[in-house]
Amino acid sequence: MRWFGAIRTATRSAKRHKAQVVALALVMMIATASATLGLALLAANDAPYQHAFAAQHGADLSVTVNPASVSSQELAATSTLSGVTAAAGPFSEASVQTDFQGQPFGQLTLAGRVSPSGSIDNLVLNAGHWPDGADQVVLNGSPSPDNPGVGDTLSVTSTSRPLNLKIVGFANSITNTADGWVIPRQVSALQSPGAPASGEMLYSFTHAATDAQIRADMATISSALPPGAVTGTGSWLTAENDAAGNGAIMEPFVIAFALIGLGMAVLIVGNVVSGAVIAGYHRIGVLKSIGLTPAQVVVAYLRRIGGPALVGCLLGVAAGNALALTVLHISANAYGVGSQHVPVWASVAAPAGLLLIAMATAFGPALRAGRLSAVQAIAAGRAPATGRGYAMHRLAARLGLPRPVGIGLAAPFARPARTVVTLAAITFGATAVIFAVGLTTSLSRASASQTLSDTVQVQVSQTGSTTAAPTAAQNAAATTALRTQPGTLHYVAVYSQGVQVPGVTGSVNISAYDGDSSWLGYALIAGHWYSAPGEVVVNTAFLNTSGLAVGDVATVNTGTAQVHVRIVGEVFQPNGGARMYGSTSTLTGLATAQNLEEFDAALQPGTDGSNYAQTVNSALGSHSPWGASSHTHGGKFYTIASALIGLLAFMVAIVAGLGVLNTVLMTTRDRVHDLGIYKALGMRPGQVITMVICWIAGPAVVAGAIAAPAAIALNTATLHAMGNTAHTGVPASFTQVFSPTRLALLSLAALIIAVAGALLPASWAARSQPVTALRTE
Amino acid sequence: MRQQSVSSDLIWLDHVTKTYESGGPPAVADVSISVAAGEVVAIMGPSGSGKSTLLNLIAGLDRPTSGTVTVAGRRIDSLGESARARFRAQHIGIVFQFFNLLDDLTVEDNVLLPAQLAGASRRQARVRARELLEQLGIQDFRDTYPARLSGGQRQRVAIARALVNRPELLLADEPTGALDTATGQEIGRLLRDMNNAGQTLVLITHDPLLAQRYAARTVRVVDGRVAGTNAGVPA
Repeated sequence: MRWFGAIRTATRSAKRHKAQVVALALVMMIATASATLGLALLAANDAPYQHAFAAQHGADLSVTVNPASVSSQELAATSTLSGVTAAAGPFSEASVQTDFQGQPFGQLTLAGRVSPSGSIDNLVLNAGHWPDGADQVVLNGSPSPDNPGVGDTLSVTSTSRPLNLKIVGFANSITNTADGWVIPRQVSALQSPGAPASGEMLYSFTHAATDAQIRADMATISSALPPGAVTGTGSWLTAENDAAGNGAIMEPFVIAFALIGLGMAVLIVGNVVSGAVIAGYHRIGVLKSIGLTPAQVVVAYLRRIGGPALVGCLLGVAAGNALALTVLHISANAYGVGSQHVPVWASVAAPAGLLLIAMATAFGPALRAGRLSAVQAIAAGRAPATGRGYAMHRLAARLGLPRPVGIGLAAPFARPARTVVTLAAITFGATAVIFAVGLTTSLSRASASQTLSDTVQVQVSQTGSTTAAPTAAQNAAATTALRTQPGTLHYVAVYSQGVQVPGVTGSVNISAYDGDSSWLGYALIAGHWYSAPGEVVVNTAFLNTSGLAVGDVATVNTGTAQVHVRIVGEVFQPNGGARMYGSTSTLTGLATAQNLEEFDAALQPGTDGSNYAQTVNSALGSHSPWGASSHTHGGKFYTIASALIGLLAFMVAIVAGLGVLNTVLMTTRDRVHDLGIYKALGMRPGQVITMVICWIAGPAVVAGAIAAPAAIALNTATLHAMGNTAHTGVPASFTQVFSPTRLALLSLAALIIAVAGALLPASWAARSQPVTALRTE
Repeated sequence: MRQQSVSSDLIWLDHVTKTYESGGPPAVADVSISVAAGEVVAIMGPSGSGKSTLLNLIAGLDRPTSGTVTVAGRRIDSLGESARARFRAQHIGIVFQFFNLLDDLTVEDNVLLPAQLAGASRRQARVRARELLEQLGIQDFRDTYPARLSGGQRQRVAIARALVNRPELLLADEPTGALDTATGQEIGRLLRDMNNAGQTLVLITHDPLLAQRYAARTVRVVDGRVAGTNAGVPA
């Protein structure tokens, strides 16, 4: 015990080195929090739908039944059928047409449920509360700025008397069993006049992994019920497919940010820990001179590092879990799953891994200290090593720069290894910021191209208030309404139909435009927008499925004619499978009243979309099947992805800034005596701050120069990875988002991170008393 | 001991007390000293007597807990950190026992630094620095790093650095303490020559011989208080 007793005494001084202990614990805390978050994101990215499906007891199959054709007893009996492992329902449901703030909000299927929990389809309440009275609704999904939120009211237009539903919450059904939920007794009041009553049963089966198994399960249920009882079904595989699309697209950038976070955590810990051990060499020499053995020295220093490191790791894992709450909430929205949590293994692996890294990093210098003679250790503890950086000081002195600037710029060369690691940390942080800005711009362009939100300000589409298809006269009225509006810049009628193309499995979705469509703004991956008779453009999915290329000729069977078209361009449109775009004059036979899907309109500058839409709706009248709505926002996925990117980049930048803070703190500690001399010679506090900031400014400029091309490469690679996942090419306009001026300004992120990180220790150095600094050595 | 400042005084400490820890014993207690321009005064006392604290207060490196410190006609105890630094650069040169040269700067850059911090151009400062290096006999070492110099040479560099801004007051804290006897005497003579040329000098020392040999007046400090003043006989 005497052996350890000497170590205990030798390490007791940690209390007197509060700044170093706090700095080490702080770095470990930040690194552990960052690593916990990184691991949580990687875990969240790993089959998120499957994990959420298991956690929320998703329904393998939802079956819509006609209560008039089947009794409750018969439905209850299906729960004991062979292969059925669980059943829930029947939940009464109603399909309603809704408006929000005077504009069509769409058709919603609302189910009556007493509570969100259940043995199947356990709903995750994301916001608000479950309906506790009439005229309240919880919507499926999460609140978003572009949609109605908690407290807003939806108007139900399909009931015999007007009815308002107050949105009291948002919940997520992993298998999308309904668009919203009300209390059970509300459902009857929501039924449209003449519409049959409807109910929903939810099932889990022993085997439901494939479409074939789901079909077999469905057959089992159907055969047990009277004919006509089943009016519809929904498979979990369909819901998974919908969710997996967006989730998979997110994978590349989530992984990129997670790896940046983890890499930075390791770098910063290594830098700070090795710095802390080296800073203690002088003391090690003293301890050896009074009799500590090499083994005792090694253990003493591992113990000195281990204590604060352990405390930092424990605080960090708590902080990481707290931070992950926000990030995982956003990622859960993006993945379309109700909630995501930090897995237990991440909360164990992150602190354990970082503690191991800290101890391993400390072991090398501690071992070296143990092997050094007392005299060597004392000499090694004096920083910086003799000779390093002297030439840079001479050069800086001759550059004619203000002296504090010159001294500051030369300082990093005294500790080249520490400078390189700090430079790497700043580079990571700046890369993350530049990458985030670039990716957000790229996604914004993708969103604008995919949803046409930048060019199409108003869409006129069928409201669904009537079941009959619009007549030619009603279509003509809509055209007239748009043509005669003073704010109209462009408009075009869009006809849509699924058609057959030889060589392509399944149908191809065609959009045929009656009029000029070149202003719509679809982003081109290759070729050009169609401009001559016989020309069409297609999306990547079409080219992949057909094996054709831009320049080839395809034959389209429009149902009434065989049309030969030349593919002149490839557009970015990852949604909806194989797609083709052309004019109605090329794609003959498609421009029928039944195929008219919508009118897209661009407005004159300064025209308000909502006012324009209201004026069009007034002109159309309340009995028109057409309704105009303003179209001002992009896709929900892009909004969520941008929010997630912004948050992740901000956090990486914060970690980088804290890494700089610790490096500058260590350097300040190394040079405290020199600081005292500078002050004694008349260096003013402002000059001290300038000098300390210049310590880090040089590496920051280099980091910015490295980060700029790195971010461009990362952005391009990530976009192509996202494109591959979504089975689409990526237009060059999406990757070319950095103009030279913009890139130069963004590169300043490195300098901003460095200066922000250095300001605090710089002001501490400026405030320190020269007498105290001179006494330190 | 004089108790009132007269117009020729360069330094005037009036009832100065300095306490480092609240409730603890003062390092300097109710000290009043004045030093006339052109005078050489030695502040002498044993270790822990408070003489270095007095130097720090005169140099504006620290502030008194109570009392006033006036140097070159200006109350420096009431100045802010920046103003004190500026004042120090313009009016006070300090020579430390262990030289406190900056290892990563050449001899010439060490000497240039205070001038540049005070705002002089590199060209102006270099003229003055070279003049001083020549005057002190170390002009051949201007591109050498301090680590390659002997103790005496280092202290000469420190003196050159202290004088580069032509300060009215030179404070020397145990200037021969880290030197062998012969080199110490050499540095002592150098300081005396400077005084002969009009430089006001305050020597902080625990060495009675140094005080006796080079100072016109010696202020003895014991336990933070002035224990007596006597005129020396410079050799």
